[in-house]
Amino acid sequence: MLDFMEHVQLAFYDASHWNLDNSYGTLNATARALLDFQTPRGLRLQISSLAAPNFATSYTLGNVGVVDGSVSYLYSSLPLERKLKSSELDLHNVIRGYRQLRELRRPDEDWWWEIWHNGKRVDRRDTLLYGRIFLPQSRLEALYVRRLTPTRQLRVNAVSDSNLNNGGTILTLLQNDHGKYSTEYMYSTDSALIGLRGLYNFGPDPRNAPTAPTTSQQVAEHMHGRFSAGAELYYGLLNKSGGISTGLRFATLPNHHGFPYTMTLTLNPLMGNLSSTYAVKAGPNLALCTRFDFNFYSYESDLQLGCELWRRRSNTDVEWALKKLRPDWKRPTVAPDDDVSGILKARVDQHWRVGVLWEGRIKDLLFTLGASLDLKKREQIFRAVGIELQYSS
Amino acid sequence: MAFNFNWSPLIADTSRARDMLTTALNKGPKPPIIVDDITVTELNLGSTPPELEILEIGDLAEDRFRGIFKMTYAGDAFLTLKTKVQANPLNTYLSTKPDFASPEPLAASAGLTIPLQITLSDIRLSGFVILVFSKQKGVTLVFRNDPLESLKVSSTFDSIPFIKNYLQKEIEGQLRVLFMEDLPAIIHRLSLRLWSPEFQELDAETEERLDSSKSTIAPIDPLSGPPQDAVDEFGNPIDASQMATLALDSSSEIHASFSQKNMLRLASLSQSQHTLSLFTPGIREAVFRAWASNPDRPESGSATPALTQSSLSRIQSTFASVKSNASSVASGSTGQDTNASRPTLSSAYSSAAGLSLGANRSRGHQMRKRKKRVVDLRKNRDAADSSGLSTEPTTPLTSTTASETASVIPEEPHRVDNNEPALSTPPRTPINPLHSSALEPGSPTPRFRETEKPAPSDALLPPAPLLSDPPKPKAKLANATVHDFVQTEQSQRPKPAGRSSSSRPPLSHTRLRSTQQASSPLLRSLSFDKMPSYQSQKNSGALSPPYAESTTSSAGGILEQAWMLKMANEIARKVREEKGRCGGSRSPSPPERQRGSLKRPQGLWDGAEECMDAPPAYVA
Repeated sequence: MLDFMEHVQLAFYDASHWNLDNSYGTLNATARALLDFQTPRGLRLQISSLAAPNFATSYTLGNVGVVDGSVSYLYSSLPLERKLKSSELDLHNVIRGYRQLRELRRPDEDWWWEIWHNGKRVDRRDTLLYGRIFLPQSRLEALYVRRLTPTRQLRVNAVSDSNLNNGGTILTLLQNDHGKYSTEYMYSTDSALIGLRGLYNFGPDPRNAPTAPTTSQQVAEHMHGRFSAGAELYYGLLNKSGGISTGLRFATLPNHHGFPYTMTLTLNPLMGNLSSTYAVKAGPNLALCTRFDFNFYSYESDLQLGCELWRRRSNTDVEWALKKLRPDWKRPTVAPDDDVSGILKARVDQHWRVGVLWEGRIKDLLFTLGASLDLKKREQIFRAVGIELQYSS
Repeated sequence: MAFNFNWSPLIADTSRARDMLTTALNKGPKPPIIVDDITVTELNLGSTPPELEILEIGDLAEDRFRGIFKMTYAGDAFLTLKTKVQANPLNTYLSTKPDFASPEPLAASAGLTIPLQITLSDIRLSGFVILVFSKQKGVTLVFRNDPLESLKVSSTFDSIPFIKNYLQKEIEGQLRVLFMEDLPAIIHRLSLRLWSPEFQELDAETEERLDSSKSTIAPIDPLSGPPQDAVDEFGNPIDASQMATLALDSSSEIHASFSQKNMLRLASLSQSQHTLSLFTPGIREAVFRAWASNPDRPESGSATPALTQSSLSRIQSTFASVKSNASSVASGSTGQDTNASRPTLSSAYSSAAGLSLGANRSRGHQMRKRKKRVVDLRKNRDAADSSGLSTEPTTPLTSTTASETASVIPEEPHRVDNNEPALSTPPRTPINPLHSSALEPGSPTPRFRETEKPAPSDALLPPAPLLSDPPKPKAKLANATVHDFVQTEQSQRPKPAGRSSSSRPPLSHTRLRSTQQASSPLLRSLSFDKMPSYQSQKNSGALSPPYAESTTSSAGGILEQAWMLKMANEIARKVREEKGRCGGSRSPSPPERQRGSLKRPQGLWDGAEECMDAPPAYVA
């Protein structure tokens, strides 16, 4: 489950019309959400609040070590409209599961953002500032996001910690999203790593004027799925080492008739690593995912399976009454997913390492229960068990 | 004299050594680039044995041996290791970085593990080796300096020069650690299995303990850092502040006295001994046998002012440690006759006492400690004896302590005593060598036990009054009184149940004498070693280095240490119990109280103690 601050950041991207999915870094986001989820350790409590539409605070207390915690603040120049209260929020926004790609959106024109007042431009660039300090360790995390233009965003991540080399590290990321393609340039102060990422979407260019599809066949071809290809390249100037990978993705779009699915194939030609994932949303409440890794240099392989299951309370006892309600009667408003009793996520790999996560909402509290197990080690099956509680207002 | 080292059985079966190497290599945290356990697949000691050049034989008997060698090895031994390494630099790079500022590569960080085989061959070693063997405690082998000269590393990646150089550098560094720390432990354990079957179960036990607390595995070089067990010899935890002073002193100390320069000097000294050259290089802070063996030299006490208290204590501190064997080279004293003859100097007053007497009169701090030691030691002995610790403490290593410290003893007190036979001081030097040498190597332990107890007691006590009151006639008097007090104190002291009357009658002067004669230097030095550590536990304040050293010196062999700890815990507990019964707060020890009643300037004493924190050398 996303923690409050991550949720707020997503809300900011949403409000500023930044498409997170259109990046090479999120090419296999679905598979990672279903297979690489973190299981909590120990007990963690989080109390957060969006005090004003522009300002959020969050306090975390945990028992890793003796007692540790963090305090974080966030400022957004854009007022955030999304419901962030733990009693009201949409669980689909905070549970990372199958990611349904949406239609590419045509980027805003520059002049759309201009606001003139008395002959002067008064509009400001949307900015997000976020800071978080972990208390016993005295580690400080800072994030700065600025939408430079409708197609460009600057992100700076910084960590300050006396345990790190040079006392900390800064990552600067310049992202361009033109809809049809996106590029990212990054620089990390740690060993002077420079990086380059690009993603290209095949199919119609969303920047072109929305013209009526000429043939029905064209509609069927282009609108049901999207094929994307991308690559990344890294090079550390100081340690003279680098990395490279390329990837492909095919994902269905919302108007696909069958069940939605996503396929990715990534290749690391330097290290000989080939990874393919296949994720399918088998129903409104079930998503399945598999991943197969193969290294054609060392012949090592790995297979992982994962699933996500939304469990809803059966309301059969009142269903008959709901059916009798006339359509024009006023129905009692319910929070979205109010009938969700919990979401089960599970993964297993070929070494019988299992991760289980049970998330949900009880009253106003969001909870995450998790455990990671190693079934091969009989004497110590449970490797980590934890529970996280979140409350936000 | 000839030694026959049999090399062939050593190369016959190396499977156990292989296992031990494997565990030693995997015990520490590994760098992220190594993703699997390191296993030793092949270990061949080769057919060429190392060349050993005997520099000194410190102790030689049928069942024990102590010597210092110069070892050179240019044989054909080789060692093959297997592990898996992460070949993707981006993967290892990211594994050590915080997630928040990670570039989060999609697949560029995918791992590629490569099996790696490394062969180490053409090993060239050269260094000073201290070898101690005893039937009970097996073989202890310590390298005095870094023995690795060169080696050849060949691996799977020999074709890539960058990786080859990197591996060569890394492995040389690791191997230095192995030689200095792990190898001595391995050899010790192996030897225990080989020679003493009764240790095998104990060994297994200790192994468990070692596994549970890794810190105890490292004490092979106990002087280079703070002791990892925050426990002194008697099992009482040493608190952090104490540890700090301890570590500081000891490290600076040892590294000062075993610098490269000193090693060179030692080498030239040993060279000069091979020839007829009369040249003897001047070695600072070393005392040569020629100086010390003439006990009748009238002004030796005052003639050694060049040796300040600090330097003396430094010597003592150096030699009190396990690693001190090499230091006997420094002193130029070789052979066991030194050991036998040295204690003679300290017959009336122990080496330490005499030492402080002649060198620095204002050092009430140390004197006072010693005074207490007397009392405590006796108790310790009792406890130790009652718990059957008789054979254990025969560490041949520590005998150097006695000899060294003894050699710098001023002779003044002896003469004084000689002039006044009424005080019935212990015998003079000429007599002693006979007795002690007769007893020396093979004398039965029970006798030692009996005899060693009083030795330090009267030896350590007397200087205290002298110190507080320098004039000599008074000093004599003081000696007499203190002797008396020792006795009275002893007789008054409540003994642990059952022990008191039978084994520890009040010491008569004659008895004192006999015990003095009988006490082997070895055991005396032993008692020396123990007392300071007990001291350090009691003295939470400034620790003078000798004590620090002696605490660390207890970390001899792993096994020994573990056992000692166990015993020491018991002893310390008993001592504490008794202390509590005596109702004595720890500050005024009984003899001192007596002295106070004798109108000794107690205020001066206390003041001296309070203002005294560390010897000047250590303050600087």
